[in-house]
Amino acid sequence: MHLNALLAAAQAQLCWTAPAHDDADALHVVAADLMSDVLTMDLERPLLLTSLATEQAVRTAHVVGAVAVLVANGKTPPPEMVALARKLDVPLARTALSKFDAAVALGRALNC
Amino acid sequence: MNPIPISAEQSPLLFLELLYKLRVRDVMARDLVTIRRDATMRELQRLMQARRVSGVPVVENGRLFGIVSIEDLLQALDAQRMDEPVANFMAANVVTIEDDMPLAIAISYFNKYEYRRFPVLNARGEAVGIVTARSINTRLLVELFRELARIENQYVLPLSENASCYFQTFRVARSDFENAGSAATEIKNVLQKRGLDPKLIRRVAIAAYELEMNLVVHSDGGTLTFRADEGEIQLIAKDQGPGIADVDLAMQEGWTTANDWVKSLGFGAGMGLPNAKRVSDEFHIASELGKGTTVTVRDVLPPRPLQKPPA
Repeated sequence: MHLNALLAAAQAQLCWTAPAHDDADALHVVAADLMSDVLTMDLERPLLLTSLATEQAVRTAHVVGAVAVLVANGKTPPPEMVALARKLDVPLARTALSKFDAAVALGRALNC
Repeated sequence: MNPIPISAEQSPLLFLELLYKLRVRDVMARDLVTIRRDATMRELQRLMQARRVSGVPVVENGRLFGIVSIEDLLQALDAQRMDEPVANFMAANVVTIEDDMPLAIAISYFNKYEYRRFPVLNARGEAVGIVTARSINTRLLVELFRELARIENQYVLPLSENASCYFQTFRVARSDFENAGSAATEIKNVLQKRGLDPKLIRRVAIAAYELEMNLVVHSDGGTLTFRADEGEIQLIAKDQGPGIADVDLAMQEGWTTANDWVKSLGFGAGMGLPNAKRVSDEFHIASELGKGTTVTVRDVLPPRPLQKPPA
């Protein structure tokens, strides 16, 4: 599914992206705060939904080839996190929704 | 080729390179303490005491006339000739060394001659410094530390982005969460440039990340070495301690010794080693308490498709 449509479904605002990602699409959603768990999942082009607003979330997303990171629970990604997202070329977004509500919204959008 | 003045077999290459890279001018003491020929031995004594030197070149207008040492001074003291000029006691036949000679030659002089110091002349024959065992040792130590620091900090230069064999070593510091993952990021970028299968790249990047996080979280610091050639990709995580008490236990999913702080960063779930094993074709771990741990993982690359012959 188109990444931007997916993010819109979760009422997300982009913190950083690049034009190259305008046509990106996500095939799965991984919802986790434990990056160790994210590293054990073999999913193609997932969107990483997390409430971990740290640089490690961006690093993990980059390592597993996630199309974007969405930070939930109304957290604002700190500047270092945004800077790393820019450096590693991983789109970064945030949403005021709780992780559960965001996951529900993303799941509905993916399945419809 | 000049003979190497110290045993080449037992000296690390780096040290030998330094002996030839460094010139006499690099190791000599430049704040040269000199004395005139007409100065008295009494003046020499005061000079030696004040400057804490045991040998003084006799120099006038840059020209070297000889050298007086503490032995000459003792002789003058003994003979009660302390009011006589330095010229009467100095050794006029001085073995000198040129400032652009390699350090190796300077060291060989200490073996070849009995002297403990050699005045240094520049190309114009002017006395510009003095070489002693101390000046050499001091400079060598400084250079060795500098070289070591350089080697430790450098990301070993890849032969070339497209070379068939790629080799890189990353230093990973204990608890350096700020940079944790940067080696894995770099490795992933290299593999992407090589145009490898994205699934394989993800496997290797995950293994690299897990091993790198292990070094940050659990080790006293270590290195992550990455090697890629036509046939395989290899990652070696090596640390200097503390070692794993029970490797079988550490390999169990969910078993962890990480503290809450590490867990708050999203790691330390006890999945690192099993996950690194899961994403590699070969996995090997060796650990000794108090010594350290080495983890080696390999991923075999699929053979490259044969190029189509031109139609």
